[in-house]
Amino acid sequence: MSDPGVSHQRLAQRSIGYRSLEMAARLGWILLFVTFGSSQLLAAWQTGLLIAGGLLAAGGYQFVFWRRFEYELTEDTFDIRSGVFSRRTREIPLDRVQNVDLQRNVFQQAVGLTEVRLETAGGSTTEATLRFVTEAEAARLREAISLQKRAAGSESTAEAESVAGEQPPAEERHETLFEISPRELGLLGLISVDLRLLSILTVLLPLVLPSVGRRVGGEGPLMSAPLVSFALGAPIAAFFIVFVTAIVSGVFTLTNYWGFQLRRGAEELLYDRGLLQRFSGTIPLEKVQAFAISENVLARRFGYASLSVETAGYGPGDSSGSQSAVPIAQRDRVLELARSVDSFEEISFERPPARARYRYFLRYLLVVGGVVTVAYLANRFTGFAVAWQYAVGLVVLAPIGAHLKWANLGYAVLDSHLVTRTGFWTRETRIIPYFRVQTLIQSSSLLQRRRNLSSVVADTAGSGGLGGSNARAMDIDAREAEELRSTIERRFQQAVERGPLSSRRSRRTPGPDIGPSEGPSSSGSV
Amino acid sequence: MSRDAEDRSVASEAEEGRDTGPASTDDAPDSTGQTDRRAEPRSRPEPAERHTDADSLTETQPDAEELPAPARGLDSRVRLIWALRATVSAVVVGAITGVGGMLVFDRPLVGVGVFLALLIVGNIHAWYRYRRWSYQVRADSLLLTRGVFTRTKTVVPYVRIQHVDASRGPAERLLGIATTVVYTAGSRGADVSIPGLTQAGAEALQTRLKRLAIAAEGEDAV
Repeated sequence: MSDPGVSHQRLAQRSIGYRSLEMAARLGWILLFVTFGSSQLLAAWQTGLLIAGGLLAAGGYQFVFWRRFEYELTEDTFDIRSGVFSRRTREIPLDRVQNVDLQRNVFQQAVGLTEVRLETAGGSTTEATLRFVTEAEAARLREAISLQKRAAGSESTAEAESVAGEQPPAEERHETLFEISPRELGLLGLISVDLRLLSILTVLLPLVLPSVGRRVGGEGPLMSAPLVSFALGAPIAAFFIVFVTAIVSGVFTLTNYWGFQLRRGAEELLYDRGLLQRFSGTIPLEKVQAFAISENVLARRFGYASLSVETAGYGPGDSSGSQSAVPIAQRDRVLELARSVDSFEEISFERPPARARYRYFLRYLLVVGGVVTVAYLANRFTGFAVAWQYAVGLVVLAPIGAHLKWANLGYAVLDSHLVTRTGFWTRETRIIPYFRVQTLIQSSSLLQRRRNLSSVVADTAGSGGLGGSNARAMDIDAREAEELRSTIERRFQQAVERGPLSSRRSRRTPGPDIGPSEGPSSSGSV
Repeated sequence: MSRDAEDRSVASEAEEGRDTGPASTDDAPDSTGQTDRRAEPRSRPEPAERHTDADSLTETQPDAEELPAPARGLDSRVRLIWALRATVSAVVVGAITGVGGMLVFDRPLVGVGVFLALLIVGNIHAWYRYRRWSYQVRADSLLLTRGVFTRTKTVVPYVRIQHVDASRGPAERLLGIATTVVYTAGSRGADVSIPGLTQAGAEALQTRLKRLAIAAEGEDAV
């Protein structure tokens, strides 16, 4: 139990120094420009004076900031009073807190400081940011918030005594669900190359290459022939691009997910990751909006997938993968992990009818037409020689693309979850409880109506913006879509009447029920 | 009306809203109203008859109505708004192409042609849009049916309603109509709006949705 008697806590004193340096460094480039610029406005001693003055001013400001920044964890709220010039008092009800994230970069690690962020639903930015507290304080804060949240939550369900009574020590409650192995980390670096970028480049390259070849090696007899330069240049350039992209994204992913570990507390998931920048976050189980399993082409090839658990906490802008629960694991294992959080049955997908392919075929034909037109116009009206004739060849890809797109579509209606699947390059399977549906949208465009097709979208309060967070059952038969919509509506109402999450009981005890649907689940009562 | 009195009336009507029987207004206890709603058959017939707009909206008091209410169309004046919007954009696009045509090809008539084409298409679109638009206040959710090219049906469960606005732009005020906007916590189509309601109708719908949202039990799932 954290002591609510201690009120008005301050940030770590060390944060004054760190923040002043940070502030000074941010303004430092102006100084650099003034000192070493072409006009040499200032002598060295003047620069030194300026630096000292700047540091002093920054230090003073940060000291006042520190003096005036107070936070307090009360019984059911987290209060912050802050502000140097304009004061702000903010109270965040604890049961509204979605995520608690801790992060520290290399410098902060060196001086032992941690940034704490609290996220709630709604609002576009992080609701509370503590920059910075000590590591111990950050851990204590996170622990205390989750404890008090749980205590507040269980009061209403008449379980206050049992929860408060036998509260096991903090360390014992965490059970490690997943730990990334070096092999998986390596694989993650390999498959996280953005394939869409590659495909665009490889399409674009041959179109622009003739002119590039001519410009670069125009004099040489070999390079002057556009066909030869194309045959030579394209593979080399493509290889080069693949290589660089792979290295960069591989290194990025490697440092990002270094030492990834997912643990599970009584009512939340905890994860740690990162080498240079350590991230550590909390995902409360009762706030989970949706699961998304995504596998790109390469991952599918190796039988791997990633799992992300979505809450409504993050704003649309910053879905920076921080909610990713498992960056990579074998597909079965991913499903198993998802099932250990929320039990759902075996998924068998309903497929859209074959006539749905035609729609994508037409769409891709239009895209090809657009590319050809642009390439032709570019060839005609700009100095670049663009081999627009090659673009016509892309027509061959339209039916293939349409088929692949169609082949990966699907949906499944489970007892208490809706599952949808879309995408070829990155195939995404979304699993959302009916209870989390916010609005239901059934739509059929002109082309869909001609083929008697329709799409159903179930929108949740997730955070992935731009169509990211909703489950879509694309291009199913119109009558089927109508049925699907009313089924979801019906099950939604049943779920609402039954209460928040029927399978929650099985989660309260983090027992060894990780296997698929071994745990007791009352969700199967439909 | 004082705030207290309004609250009380909201509460009492919320109870009535749950009740399926239209007559039992005075003695509807909370519990029976609840069970009635649950026992109600789930199959909701598709909107069979469309009530004409203004009369049904203004005359009947919302609390005396039965749920599921029949599907309703919009007020016909909304066509004027849409036609006006189409005309304005036709004028703008026509002017741009006209000037462009005059400068580049020396053919100012291009602009006139574009303007006329857009005007006709826009007005026809406005007409069909009005014809296609309908909304239905059902037992547990609001259903909107709309769209000319892409037909869309949106279901908004009352439990998920965060707040309801009634808004009136200048043109709408001039014509005496209003828009009701419904907000949910969803990420896409977060706001659902019903244009072309009479003023009284928009207010009545707003109050009614508010009551239904209060009456609907359940967490907001965020």
